[in-house]
Amino acid sequence: METIVNDFTFNIATANGTGSQSANLILLQTMFEMGVPVSGKNLFPSNISGLPTWYIIRVSDAGYQAPGDRTHIQVLMNKATWEDDIETLESGTVLIYNSDVKMPVERDDLILYPIPMTKIARGLNPKLARMIANMVYVGVIAELIGLDRGILDKAVSKQFNGKEKAIELNATAIELGREYICENFEQMCPFEIESREKNPDSFIIDGNEAVALGSVFGGITLLSWYPITPSTSIAEGIISYLPRLRSDENEKVTCAVIQSEDELAAAGMVVGSGWAGGRAMTCTSGPGISLMSEFVGLAYFSEVPGVIWDVNRVGPSTGLPTRTQQGDLSMLYEVGHGDTKHLVLIPGNVEECFEFGWRAFDLAERYQTIVFGFSDLDLGMNRWICNGFDYPEKMDRGKVLHSQEEIDAIENFGRYRDVDGDGICYRTLPGSGLEPMLYRGTGHDEDAVYSENPEVYVANMERLKRKIDGARTVLPQPILREEPEKQVGIIYYGSMENTIQEIDDILEESGLKVSQCRLRSLPISPVVEEFVDNHEQIIVLEVNRDGQLYGILRKELPIELVPRVHSVAFSDGLPPRARKYSEMIREKLLEVMS
Amino acid sequence: MKLNIIELPKDDYKGGPSSLCPGCGHDQISNVVINAAWENGVQPEKIAKMSGIGCSSKTPAYFLGKSHGFNTLHGRMPSVTTGANVTNKDLHYIGVSGDGDSASIGIGQFVHAIRRNLNMVYIIENNGVYGLTKGQYSATVEKGSQKRKADANESPPIDLCAMAINLGCTFVARSFSGSKKQLTSIMKAAISHRGTAVIDVISPCVTFSNNDESFRSYGYVKDNQSELHSYDYIPTFQPIEAVEVPEGEYKDITLFDGSTLRLETIGEDHDPTDAVGALSQIHQAEQDQRHVTGLLYYNPEPKTLDEMLNLSDTPLAELDIDKLRPSEDDLASLLADFRA
Repeated sequence: METIVNDFTFNIATANGTGSQSANLILLQTMFEMGVPVSGKNLFPSNISGLPTWYIIRVSDAGYQAPGDRTHIQVLMNKATWEDDIETLESGTVLIYNSDVKMPVERDDLILYPIPMTKIARGLNPKLARMIANMVYVGVIAELIGLDRGILDKAVSKQFNGKEKAIELNATAIELGREYICENFEQMCPFEIESREKNPDSFIIDGNEAVALGSVFGGITLLSWYPITPSTSIAEGIISYLPRLRSDENEKVTCAVIQSEDELAAAGMVVGSGWAGGRAMTCTSGPGISLMSEFVGLAYFSEVPGVIWDVNRVGPSTGLPTRTQQGDLSMLYEVGHGDTKHLVLIPGNVEECFEFGWRAFDLAERYQTIVFGFSDLDLGMNRWICNGFDYPEKMDRGKVLHSQEEIDAIENFGRYRDVDGDGICYRTLPGSGLEPMLYRGTGHDEDAVYSENPEVYVANMERLKRKIDGARTVLPQPILREEPEKQVGIIYYGSMENTIQEIDDILEESGLKVSQCRLRSLPISPVVEEFVDNHEQIIVLEVNRDGQLYGILRKELPIELVPRVHSVAFSDGLPPRARKYSEMIREKLLEVMS
Repeated sequence: MKLNIIELPKDDYKGGPSSLCPGCGHDQISNVVINAAWENGVQPEKIAKMSGIGCSSKTPAYFLGKSHGFNTLHGRMPSVTTGANVTNKDLHYIGVSGDGDSASIGIGQFVHAIRRNLNMVYIIENNGVYGLTKGQYSATVEKGSQKRKADANESPPIDLCAMAINLGCTFVARSFSGSKKQLTSIMKAAISHRGTAVIDVISPCVTFSNNDESFRSYGYVKDNQSELHSYDYIPTFQPIEAVEVPEGEYKDITLFDGSTLRLETIGEDHDPTDAVGALSQIHQAEQDQRHVTGLLYYNPEPKTLDEMLNLSDTPLAELDIDKLRPSEDDLASLLADFRA
């Protein structure tokens, strides 16, 4: 039998709330520490306990991070999905299953490892048997694919935070799993892990924790938040780091945290804080953005800084709360009634989650408006390999006047008078006694006085447009990877970054060389227009139904470029799989080029 | 020119001209805010005036022109004030809202600001009617109220004072825009209080709800008001003996800033530290179709939001960059932990 090294996918089917996450993270951490490129995806239900959960681990020397096209090693612990999971397996798949579940396995084309996991676990600790059974499969897998003993032990210790009792119990369960394989099976497992040289700088982190840290280093002074999957761990991350990173010499904190009564209030607190001179942030998902929209409009029009992170889950409505999508992009760009446009930062990896975490505050204060961070469940809640975070650049607190001299230096000061020609006006802060004014969401003139005058309204709206447009060249610029052929270009964004290389390789295998342009912010950089101009056909690739970025591009690109731009958009709630999207790209190109 | 204790003329506390209907109760309340702040000698730049949307919420344009303010969204004044408050805890926050703003669209934010004991004065200019949209019932209007163009109101009113007491509000008063002396003393005391001070001010709408049978008309309130006490506010800079003590009993409340509110009993004795007694007063008045006014409830003990959050002594808005951003060493040590 041919041995496949470092290029296969696990699918571990368990029930929610059984502690399987610990087992899966131990596997992931061990392979990572062995220097093997891995990624883990948790497909979990909106439920506390009992419903099916799958954990997918992709092992790939090529560095592919999307879920693979097929499963090579299936672990079955859950009766509820047993039959369906078995049915989808391709011939030759390794099936490790808990034989105590007493469910049939009627396939003779699979490599079977029936393991009495419950019995083994019960022998160890009857009370905790359900949890420990998961550790038995860790031991089974470790033995079958050749995980390093020492590294695995270390991962167990890390997972249980050095708590000796838990470490001993779980390590024993793992050992019993190993022993059971050695004593009862002679057949070889065709899948094998080989150590690689590990980058000593790398570690594993999820996108939400990276955003949390970026915010803490960005000088956040207020976190107001309302719990919602999949954004909650940003808030919890910030809270967990405040004692270490944001306590002063009197053991008092330099960041307020308020769990609000709803998302309306969370956004209201952000706006109030930004008005008072704070760096405020809230984190939410699509349903929360819907509620926050009135405050986003207020901040846009009254010109108050603030940061809102949207960790996208599947909409519309309550949708699929624990699945991933890029379905909120067009909403974020234009949320609010009337003519509005907002700055949106779109990280594609955990390093950018950190960077945009701090940069969002600088941009919000510079442009005196709401800055959105746009992540998604896949990037936010799954763990990714990270090589480190760069320390932030010098903090930019924007155009704030702190003294009468500064005001006097400006000819004819007015809160909404465009002194510098960039649409960005100077502000003073409450408490300063300087140029006091009443902020309002109603029409106002350059001196912030209520006005319904048509010319005043138009001038103000045009200035706001100029202000936001000015950010196009300042926001994080697209990242281009151009092929000399300049035939087909793909524009994509966000967590699609984790699938694009594999898509590119699949297309190249079929003879198609494509350039790539990863958009990292809205409004769109002029670089995108150049990219479109330089290619004969453009595919806009995204994880939603309607092609939301495609819609924005159609509206904003010069009309003569629009016919070459085509949408490939698909979303089923799962992280994007390379083959599906590359097939759609090929089909779309066939369609438009014929 | 007459100057206050910090040597500012009263003009420094005034705002722009009002655009409300002539005779509106809200304008009288604005004048009380001006007087209270001026007489208390509060620095105008240390006041932040906050409001929602509605006739009442327009009034911050008409007082304290030297203070920053924010005329926010309908029903959302409390959340904006919360964000501002934790960001600059050293300012005096005076929030103005109405019965539509606080009892209907914003009742959730009203409730939660009180639960957090946000350090602010929360004025509700309560006329039982929506003015700007021309005369619809609000949620505080009495049962049976009859408007010209609408069916009689069949729903029971929300009593914001009773609600505030039940929520643990630390300063709850009801007053009347026409009772200038009482309202001024209560307003000053509310500014001197540390915590949420709710003042529900009955403020007649002269355009849509001033018929004599309406519970919040001038005529009705004047004839059917039961005052709990007579009040004198004695600021810190004035010797307490200087206030002439009238006949009968009185009780002094020492407020957070050291000033005193002197409660002189006029009728039945009401102890403002007794929540049950306060609720009983409210319910009895409702039954009798009267308005009970005065300081209903007072409890200086609970921590305010900024105290609960253990915020640094310097307001967060005034912190230097090196206090806001952890050092390069902090980042390096964090990354080392991740890599371990």
